[in-house]
Amino acid sequence: MTIKYWLDLYAVLIRSSIRSRMQYKFNFILGTVLAATIQIAEFLMISIVLNKFGAVKGWSLYEVGYLFAVMTLAKTLYRTFASDVHHLERYLTTGELDQLLTRPVPILLALMSQNIRLMPGELLQGGAILYWSMHGMISSGQITWLALPYTLFVIVTGGVILFSIGLATATVGFWITRINELQTLTEDAAQTAVRYPLVLYPAWLRSLLLIVIPVGFVGYVPSLFILRGEYGSWLVYGIALLAVICLVISLRFWKFGLTRYQSTGS
Amino acid sequence: MLYFSLASKAYARNLHYRGAHMLHNVASALFGYLYACIWIGIGHDRPLGEYGVHGMIGYIAFTQASLWVTGFITNGLGIPEAVRTGQISLDLMRPVHLFVLCMCREWGQIAYQFIYKSLPIYLLYMVLFRLSLPTHWTTLLYTFVALAASAYMSICMNYIIGATSLWTTESNWLFWVNHALMNLLAGFFIPVEWLPSWLQTVSWMSPYPYLLYVPTRIYLGYEQAGSLLGSLAWCIFFTLLCLLVTIVVRRKVEVQGG
Repeated sequence: MTIKYWLDLYAVLIRSSIRSRMQYKFNFILGTVLAATIQIAEFLMISIVLNKFGAVKGWSLYEVGYLFAVMTLAKTLYRTFASDVHHLERYLTTGELDQLLTRPVPILLALMSQNIRLMPGELLQGGAILYWSMHGMISSGQITWLALPYTLFVIVTGGVILFSIGLATATVGFWITRINELQTLTEDAAQTAVRYPLVLYPAWLRSLLLIVIPVGFVGYVPSLFILRGEYGSWLVYGIALLAVICLVISLRFWKFGLTRYQSTGS
Repeated sequence: MLYFSLASKAYARNLHYRGAHMLHNVASALFGYLYACIWIGIGHDRPLGEYGVHGMIGYIAFTQASLWVTGFITNGLGIPEAVRTGQISLDLMRPVHLFVLCMCREWGQIAYQFIYKSLPIYLLYMVLFRLSLPTHWTTLLYTFVALAASAYMSICMNYIIGATSLWTTESNWLFWVNHALMNLLAGFFIPVEWLPSWLQTVSWMSPYPYLLYVPTRIYLGYEQAGSLLGSLAWCIFFTLLCLLVTIVVRRKVEVQGG
């Protein structure tokens, strides 16, 4: 069976998942509007502060907006295409994973195509902030149009990095079952942290966000080149390589973890 | 006595998960630490109003610890789950008012979170950021009353959010919207007086400042007991609203097929 076969199968599973969700149109629209409200409220929080006090440690409002938008879009990519990887705990505690194991598809593929949630709210909000911040920086001459393809590229590599972190965290669930608390640390807190420039944090926290949980490579590190021209374009390609390495490691860890799976006793 | 039993059962149930909750506390404390770092960064080369950098760290430490009393309470008081499983019909049949039933269970949860989450997180910040306690015991008393009122308001708000699950399966979004609005309007990260004036107006027209901003200002010694009157007014308003919502819920209830 070729990669094309699996990709086609994934596409079919995703389509059917979306169709089942679309049976509840009112809920879909309500969910979308409310998700966008949440995102805007979150961004308002930091933009109000920066608007009042100006730049923070040399990072302008546009630059922080850029970090915020790249993180939102990368996360949207990850959560849209690997929806229930984040919700593995539910499968582990209820024994639902057993059902997936009986299917003639790889378990990860089955998990990734369950309960797909389209996220237009996040996409619109992330896109709008990205447009606004890049427009501002292009007008002031800080960046050129060349920044756009680089940005789209790092959103994809960022999505891969976030997926790898999410998958590795979920895999720990095969040993400890309850992973919500761990996810708060490795996903929620880490992602919130890197929506702001890492220069704000002490060295130990910066190292943590770059080495232990490499979430700093989603937006902050590439922005050093894209927005500030530091290092060189090799930085972006280096990050792509890093994303692939993270993906391979997390997939191997997942495979190993799966061999340690014990179903629930209930 | 029944009410106390409901609350103590919820408290006891949580005690089993103390270990996992302590790990969660680390994550929660880290969130507050991140926000404190941002204020330290902003205050690096400019004064931060009447608070100053150290004052703002104290402010963030208090709001982050208080979130476990006023913010992170059970999504919709568990009503959405009860609607999904059909348990709601049994809950409505009980000889206890639905609002009182949900509220008592939640008080047990909040008491647990106050002792095992708010206090350890704040103690950690006290050591980490060298914060000190208020000098007057009355300040602590008023803060406690303000926090109790905000916990009650939060219970009422979540009761109403839970009730919407009878109409939509997406009521959990309202929980998160409520949370996002709280972050913005309740002075969680930015003191209300620093919001743009139109947003300040919106904020003061809503109950949100009484959830975090007012208790924090009382604790830090910027406000007196008089501001508790606002909390009291909102508590009365929400009580009436919850009673009204229960009447509507009783007429609406329909159980989703399993």
